[in-house]
Amino acid sequence: MTKITRILIANRGEIAVRIMRTAHSMGIECVAVRTHVEPDAMYLSFADIIHEEEDEMAEIPVFLDVEKLISIALKTKCDALHPGYGFLAENAYFAEKCRDNGIIFIGPSPDAIYKMGNKPVARQIALRHKIPMAMGTHGSVANEDEAIHQAARIGYPVIIKAASGGGGRGMRIVRLESEMEKMFILASREAEKAFNDPSVFIEKYIENPKHIEFQILGDIHGNIIHLGERECSIQRKHQKLLEEAPSPALDEELRARMGETAVRIARAVGYYSAGTVEFLLDSDRNFYFMEMNTRIQVEHPVTEMITGIDLIEQQILIASGGKLTIRQEDVRLKGWAIECRINAEDVQAGFAPAPGRIERISFPDEPAVRVDTGVRAGSSIVASYDSMIAKLIVTGKDRHDAIIKTKLALDKVWIKGTKTTLPFFRMLMRNPLFQAGTFTTAFIEKDLEKFHTNSEYEETIAAWLATKLFVEENLSERKTGISFDQGRELTPWLLRKRLTQF
Amino acid sequence: MDINGKYFRSFIEREEALKKQYSAERIRKQHSKGKLTAHERIALLFDEGTFEEIDAYVTPSDQGVEFGKVELAFGDGVVTGHGKIDGRLVFAFAQDFTIMGGSLGIVHARKIAKVQEMALKMGAPFIGINDSGGARIQEGIASLNGYAVIFNNIIQSSGIIPQISVVMGPAAGGAVYAPALTDWVFMTSHTSYMFVTGPNVVREVLNEEVTSEDLGGAEVHARRSGVANMIYDDEENTIIAVRKFLSYLPSNNLENPPVADFTGDTPDFNPKLRDIVPDDPNKPYDVRDVITQIVDRNSFFETSELFAGNIITGFGRFEGRTIGVVANQPKVLAGVLDIDSSTKGARFIRFCDAFNIPILTLEDVPGFLPGKDQEHSGIIRHGAKLLFAYAEATVPRITVILRKAYGGAYIVMNSKGMGGDFNFAWPSAEIAVMGPDGAVAILYRRELTEAKDPAALKKELVKKYREKVANPFIADEKGYIDEVIDPAQTRAKLLSAFSALGNKSVKVPSRKHGNMPL
Amino acid sequence: MTPERPTIKKLYALSNEGHKFAFSLPLKNVIRVNGRDYTVELCEDEKYGVHILWKNRRYPVEIVRTKQNRYEILFNDISHMFTVETPVSMQRKKVLRTGKGKSQALVVRAPMPGKIIDVLVREGTAVMKGEALVILEAMKMQNEIQSDVTGTVTRIGVKAGQNVMKDDILAEITVK
Repeated sequence: MTKITRILIANRGEIAVRIMRTAHSMGIECVAVRTHVEPDAMYLSFADIIHEEEDEMAEIPVFLDVEKLISIALKTKCDALHPGYGFLAENAYFAEKCRDNGIIFIGPSPDAIYKMGNKPVARQIALRHKIPMAMGTHGSVANEDEAIHQAARIGYPVIIKAASGGGGRGMRIVRLESEMEKMFILASREAEKAFNDPSVFIEKYIENPKHIEFQILGDIHGNIIHLGERECSIQRKHQKLLEEAPSPALDEELRARMGETAVRIARAVGYYSAGTVEFLLDSDRNFYFMEMNTRIQVEHPVTEMITGIDLIEQQILIASGGKLTIRQEDVRLKGWAIECRINAEDVQAGFAPAPGRIERISFPDEPAVRVDTGVRAGSSIVASYDSMIAKLIVTGKDRHDAIIKTKLALDKVWIKGTKTTLPFFRMLMRNPLFQAGTFTTAFIEKDLEKFHTNSEYEETIAAWLATKLFVEENLSERKTGISFDQGRELTPWLLRKRLTQF
Repeated sequence: MDINGKYFRSFIEREEALKKQYSAERIRKQHSKGKLTAHERIALLFDEGTFEEIDAYVTPSDQGVEFGKVELAFGDGVVTGHGKIDGRLVFAFAQDFTIMGGSLGIVHARKIAKVQEMALKMGAPFIGINDSGGARIQEGIASLNGYAVIFNNIIQSSGIIPQISVVMGPAAGGAVYAPALTDWVFMTSHTSYMFVTGPNVVREVLNEEVTSEDLGGAEVHARRSGVANMIYDDEENTIIAVRKFLSYLPSNNLENPPVADFTGDTPDFNPKLRDIVPDDPNKPYDVRDVITQIVDRNSFFETSELFAGNIITGFGRFEGRTIGVVANQPKVLAGVLDIDSSTKGARFIRFCDAFNIPILTLEDVPGFLPGKDQEHSGIIRHGAKLLFAYAEATVPRITVILRKAYGGAYIVMNSKGMGGDFNFAWPSAEIAVMGPDGAVAILYRRELTEAKDPAALKKELVKKYREKVANPFIADEKGYIDEVIDPAQTRAKLLSAFSALGNKSVKVPSRKHGNMPL
Repeated sequence: MTPERPTIKKLYALSNEGHKFAFSLPLKNVIRVNGRDYTVELCEDEKYGVHILWKNRRYPVEIVRTKQNRYEILFNDISHMFTVETPVSMQRKKVLRTGKGKSQALVVRAPMPGKIIDVLVREGTAVMKGEALVILEAMKMQNEIQSDVTGTVTRIGVKAGQNVMKDDILAEITVK
C-alpha cells in the first residue's frame, strides 16, 4: 500500500469542499486551485495549499486543462489527484496522464473509464456478459439509411444517443420513421458540437421508466460490492433535481437481482474505486442497463446516509491500494435519505439559470439534516460554472418520515440574493404522486402543471406589500424632502459664470 | 363690506354660476371615456390647496366668430394658473375637453400665453396638460394665430425654464407642435393621441385604414417615433410621475437642480458591481443594474425608456444631487449606436446642459450600427448630433468605461479628447480602434492566409491584441483614462469626482449659437 | 376655483394572473384569511435582511422591481407581479375594456440582421411581458428578444441556427 499524503483537488465548489473534509480527517493535505472567475470561493479556505492560476486569458478553464493540472500536481508535490465530478472526472486520457507522471488518480483505471465512456463499446461488453439491455445497435450507426433500417428492426419508438455522450445532450427520441432522417442528422450534429464526436447509436426507447442507479465499490484486488440503489427519476431534461435512497420501487428480491447485475458489469471491466451503474426500470419491473458512470456522483450522499459508509474515504483507501474491508453481506440499508439540489435557477422561468451573489445563506442545524455546499454569504454563483448552491440531504427512519423532515428543513433554509429551486421542492414534498413514490422520469414534464405551489396567503401577503409600497411612494405625506433653496445657493465663481454667460 | 350687499351678492352668484357650469353631467361624460376632468388633473398635479386659477371667468367673444356658434362658457375651455409642487412655484394650463372639445379659440390661446409669459418672468417651470380637439374652426385665423403665439412663447422660454407637456387626450394637426417643442412629453396610454394628419385624412389621401391608436397613440410615440418621452397606463400615474420628474429639475437655467434628502442607505463600496458585467464580451447584461447600484437607492428615473433601448438615459441622484445618466445598453442590439439612439442621447445631453445637470456616461459600445439602412438614413448626420451635444456641454462630464469602447463610438461617448472631465475605466474595459477579431484580420491578412493553421494563429494574435492593445491599462498609462477603478468603488469615485467638479465654469466663445447638424 | 383633491379610501392589487386583492386605507398591518385577521409585518435586520413576519415565521422577501404602479415581489422565492390601482384607475380599466376585448396578434420581428442561437418558447407557450422569446446573435452579441406583451405564442417563425434579416418575423403572440 502506498500512503497518500497530499491530494490535488482538480475541481471546485461543494465537491472540492466535500473531498477536502474527508481527506483532512484522514490526515491528508489538500491543494486547491484559485481561478480568476471565483477568487474568493469557499472551497479555497479548506485547502492547505492554494495554487494561484494566473492565466486569465486561458482558452479553456484550468479544470479542463490536462497538461496544466498535471504540472500543478507535480509542482505542488501532490502524490494523488481527485477529479471530483464533471470536468475531467471521466476522461481516460487524463487518468492515464496522471499515472504516467506518477500521480495516483483517485478513480478507476483509464481502461475502465474508456470502456464505459464509449457507449457502443460498453453495450458490446454488456451484451457479452448477458446484461439485460434495451434492444439497440451493436455499434455506431453510419448514416441515415442505416439508422432507418436499424430502427425498423428494433421497433419505434427509439432513442438516438451520442456515442461519447452523457447527461442528456445529443439525445433524440424518434417515434415515426418519417422523422428519422432529420433527427439522426440533428443528433449527430449536436453530438459533434458537444463531445467532438459525431458518432451516435440507436436504442429502443423505454416509455416512462424509473431511473435507478446502483452504487458500486471495488478494489484493485478484484473485490466488488454494491451499496444499494438510488432513485433518480425526479429529473428535468435529464438533469436530476432530487435523489433518494433507497427507491420505493424496489423490494429485497429486485434489489438483489439488480445489484448482482451491477456488480457483474463492473467486474467485466475490472472496475475499481467508486462507480455507478444506471438502469431504467419499466412498469413491469424489467430493468435495462443504461450506462456506467466512472466517478463519484453528485448524489452520493444519500447512499452514505443510509449505509454509513464515507465514499470519498473508500475512494482514497482503494486508490492507495487498500483492500475493501466491507463485504456485501455487511452492507445494511438503514432509514431513508432524500437529497434536494438547491440550484440558483428560476423555477417560474422553466429552471433558467439565475446567477447572482448570495447575500445571506443559512441552513437548519439538525442531526437529520446534512448540507453539502460550496458557497457562503458573499459568494457568487457565476454563469461559467454550474448553478448549484447546496445539496440538502435529510434522513428519516422511513420514506414518510424523511419527506416530513425534508418539508420542515426546506422551510428553514434561508437564501437571499438569487432565485432558487426551493419552491419546486416545497411543492414536490406536498405532491401526492411524489408521496406515493410511483413517479417516473416523465413526472416533471407530464404530471406537473406548475413547478411551484402558489398558496393563496402567500399571494395575499405579496399583494399587501405591493399596496404598502404604493402607499409609501405615492400617497404618504412624508416623502423625501426636496430642497430648492440648496439649488439656489451658488458660489461666487459659478454665479459670475451664470450671469455673464447670457 | 356688507356681505349681503349688492356687490357681494353678484360676486357669490358668479361663483355659483361657475360651479354650475362644471356640472355632474360634464364630469360624467369625461369619466365615461376613462379620463379625468381638467380640474381633477390640476388637483392631482399640485400640492393640496395651492392652485390659484387665473381668468376663470373669461368668456369667448363673438368678435372673432366667422362661422357657426361658440358656447359662451366661463374659462373658454382651459384652466390656467399657478400653484406649488413639492412647495415650489409652477405655472400650468389644463385644457378642458368638456367645453367645446377643448378647442383653441383666441381667448383660450390668450389665457395660455398669459401664464406662459408669467412663468418665463418668474423663472418657474411650466406644465401644459393637453386635451383638445384642435383649432376652433368657428374662430378661423384668429385661432391659428393663437397657436403661433403659444409656439413662439415655448421657443422663447426653451432652455430658460423647464417646459413639460402632458398629453391626455387628442392633439391633432398643428396643435401637436405645442407638446413637440417642449422639453418633455408625457402621454397616457389608450386615451391620448398625437398626429399631424388624422386617420380620416390618411384614409382619403392614401386609402390606408388606420386607427387613432395605431397612428399616434402613446405606445407608437413612445416606441417608434420617440415623440413621447414617458407613457403611463392611467392618468393618476402619469401625474404622479410628472410630480416626481419635476423634483429632479431646477426652476430655471440660473439655478442648480434641487437637492433631495439623502438618507445614507446606499453603500459607497459595493461588491455587487463586480458581478454585473460578464467576462465574455459577447454576453449581454442590463446596464440598468449598474446604474441602480451606483446612484442613490431608488433614485433613477429613466427617460424615453421605450425608444431606442440601446441607449439608456435618465436622471439619478448622488447624495441627493441630480445627475443625468447616459449609458449604452448591451442588452438591446448589443448597445450599438444607431440613428435613434444618437438623437435620443443628444437631446438628453442638451437638456442636462441647459439646466446645469452634470452628466455621467457609462460606456459599453461595440460601435456604430453598420448597413445600408443606417447609412442611407443618415447615421453620419445623426451620429454627429451626439458628438456635438457632448462637446458643447459645459456641465461636469464624467465617463466610466465598463467594457467595450471601440473606434468612433469610443470618441463619441464623452472621451477625454471630447472634453470629458474625468474618464474612468473598469478593469474589464477594452479600448481600441476596433475589436480584436477585426484588427487581427486587417493587420495580419497575409500571414493568416498563408498560415498552415489560420484558426490557431488567429487565436494567438487575438490573445496578443487583448494583452497589448485592447485593455484599460495602456490607455491609463498614456493618460487617456484618468484612472482604472475597482467596480466596487465606482460610487465612491464618482461622488468625489462630481464634488470636485461642482464649481466647473467654462468660458464659452461668444456666438449667437453653434450650428448643430440637424 | 381651487380644485380639491379626492381622498382615496381603497386600493386594489391586481396580480398578472387576474387575482384581485382589495385593501382599505389607511393600510393596516393585517391580512384576513378565512375570516380571521393575522398581523403581517415588514422587517429588516442584520441577520435575515428584509423579511416578512407572518404567524411567527419569517419569510424572505425581495422587492425586485417597482415601476409606475407595477410591483414585482419575490416572496418565499416565488415572484409575484401586481399593479396597484385606485378606484379611479379601476373604473378607467373597466371603461377602456368595453369596446375592445377581441384578441390581438402581435408580430415580433428581428430588430437587426443576425443568427438565431436559440428559440426559448414553443407554439402555445404562455409568455409574460419582458420574457425572452429567442436569442439572436448580432454584432457578436447574444441579444434576448423579448415579448412586448403578455399572451400566448401562436407562431414561431424561426429555428435555431437560422440566419435572419432585419424585420423577419420571429414569433407571433396573441393577446387575450
